[in-house]
Amino acid sequence: MKAKPAELTISLAVLVLGIAVAVGTTQLSGAGGYARVGPNAAPAVVAAGLVLLGLWLLYEALSGGWRNSSPDEPEALGEHPFHLGAFLWVSVGLFAQILLIHRAGFVLAQAVLFACVARGFGSTRIARDLAIGLAIALAVFLFFVKFLNVNLPAGWLRPILGSAGI
Amino acid sequence: MAETFQSLLHGFSIALTPFNILWGLIGVILGTFIGVLPGVGPALTVAMLLPLTVKLDPTGALIMFAGIYYGAMYGGSTTTILLNTPGESASIATALEGNLMAKNGRAGPALATSAIGSFVAGTIATLLVTMLAPLVIEVALKFGPAEYFALMVFAFTTVSAVIGSSTVRGLTSLFLGLLLGIIGIDSQTGRSRFAFGVPELLDGIDVVVLAVGLFAVGEALYVAAYSSRLEEKIEQLKGSLWMSKRDWQRSWPAWLRATAIGFPFGSIPAGGAEIPTFLSYATERRLTKYPHEFGKGAIEGVAGPEAANNASVTGALVPLLTLGIPTSATAAILLSAFQNYGIQPGPLLFQSQSDLVWGLIASLYIGNVLLLILNLPLVGIWVKVLAIPRPLLYGGILVFSTLGAYSLHQSVVDLVILYVFGLLGFVMRRWNIPVAPAVIGLILGPLAETQFRRALAISQGDLSVFVTQPIAASVLAVSAILLVVPLFFKQARRD
Repeated sequence: MKAKPAELTISLAVLVLGIAVAVGTTQLSGAGGYARVGPNAAPAVVAAGLVLLGLWLLYEALSGGWRNSSPDEPEALGEHPFHLGAFLWVSVGLFAQILLIHRAGFVLAQAVLFACVARGFGSTRIARDLAIGLAIALAVFLFFVKFLNVNLPAGWLRPILGSAGI
Repeated sequence: MAETFQSLLHGFSIALTPFNILWGLIGVILGTFIGVLPGVGPALTVAMLLPLTVKLDPTGALIMFAGIYYGAMYGGSTTTILLNTPGESASIATALEGNLMAKNGRAGPALATSAIGSFVAGTIATLLVTMLAPLVIEVALKFGPAEYFALMVFAFTTVSAVIGSSTVRGLTSLFLGLLLGIIGIDSQTGRSRFAFGVPELLDGIDVVVLAVGLFAVGEALYVAAYSSRLEEKIEQLKGSLWMSKRDWQRSWPAWLRATAIGFPFGSIPAGGAEIPTFLSYATERRLTKYPHEFGKGAIEGVAGPEAANNASVTGALVPLLTLGIPTSATAAILLSAFQNYGIQPGPLLFQSQSDLVWGLIASLYIGNVLLLILNLPLVGIWVKVLAIPRPLLYGGILVFSTLGAYSLHQSVVDLVILYVFGLLGFVMRRWNIPVAPAVIGLILGPLAETQFRRALAISQGDLSVFVTQPIAASVLAVSAILLVVPLFFKQARRD
């Protein structure tokens, strides 16, 4: 039986991560005082663990696949095949939020996130989703800023939201 | 014992002040509301609602959290029964019979036995926590760093290697968490580790960011990619909500047996409510007088696992409060809530912050009563929450959960890390790597490292301290056995 590419990739990634941590550990000095274990002891243990686990996963992947794993085809779990559009829309929403939150402000960033995620889950009513997202984000903003005294960025809406926010 | 009773009474005098009742009530309602949402488990519920408590005093905040903790579980049961989408592995056993009961038009009794069973188990378990905690503290006060380190290793072993379908994947998840825990300033020497010159990383990675990334962003990416185009089927709430006399007769022995099964699993750091719920399901299936009903919707199959879940989750408060060791992802986030207030749970907490601890324990009793009162009459409202269309539901989940992660430090870097953790969660979910061990590894790893180095500082670097001290040595030995023995069993079964 051929090894599954995904299992091979993840196994190798764990192995490479372990090696990378090991290399990083050698850059840390080992002075440990009385304990004789310094800041590099724990990273060394983690590096060793990850390398061993990577090898173990690799062994399982090459000898008949990971044990007791779920079936490879989503259909077998009652799911549909990978839907790239849905995955991307959710990702776009999160990227937009990262880009917008300190410029356009919290309310607009969350509204865009809301609409993108809804789009990813199959909604086609973009205007409605934006409006709902805006309403939710505005309510959260006012609740946090006025009631909880937690500052959130007002961004482009500062003229409307006034001195609330940062 | 009399002293415990005194402390508990004092706790009630704190928990019953109007404001603390209010915080408890808000916690219970929010916890149930968020917990009902499909795809939101208790761990994410607690992580999402964490920022709400930043400006509260610690006692009020933790009382609110206790309410959220319990409410999230009650709410999750409703979703499991009506929707057959268990929000967490501990609900799978409930889903087996509960959803079938709902399909047969018996959703009402299923919800009732689950709510009342949770109340009975939760109250008995809280009583046990009250009596057990002072005893554990007596012992824990004698523990040194070597013993704590050994107990933490034990917790690592049980949450990653013993629970779940694969030892190697559980350990992989744990070590990813341990690695994330190393990032930042080393608490002992002040040196930065694996921060790559990013100032935001010097403080370390917050467990809330990891939990929200894995449970909310990862889950949303996964559901969008693999099941957003499926039809959802919600079972209607038809017929009477009340349980018949026969339902009662069949339920109460199951509740009590399940409490006896669930509590020990939660209270020794053996983590997770998954094993006791399945054990309880199997027990009820074996003892029932109506074996033909199992697989078609038997009430014992709901009553038992639900009660076991609640007893075990409550039992998990014993190691959390007395030793500072979380044994589930939810408990790990509760621990981080404590840490946000500069409080480190442990035996000394009962002396230094006795108001807070006993107020919290007293509020558990109150929370259980509030939940019983809230859940039975209000179940109609929670059912409506279930009917929110998926696109809006997941939009809302991401708006609120990213807010939770962002408002910690108001940092865009946290949002970037959040997306990376989301991708990680997606991969882990898709290829069957459990996520809870990573969350526990992140919060417990640095604590274990500190105890390890303290132990060695005391012994002047002599590693034999872990094998010459009887308690530490035996706990480490049990951990090793738990880790190694199942591997041989699995090997033998294959051959």
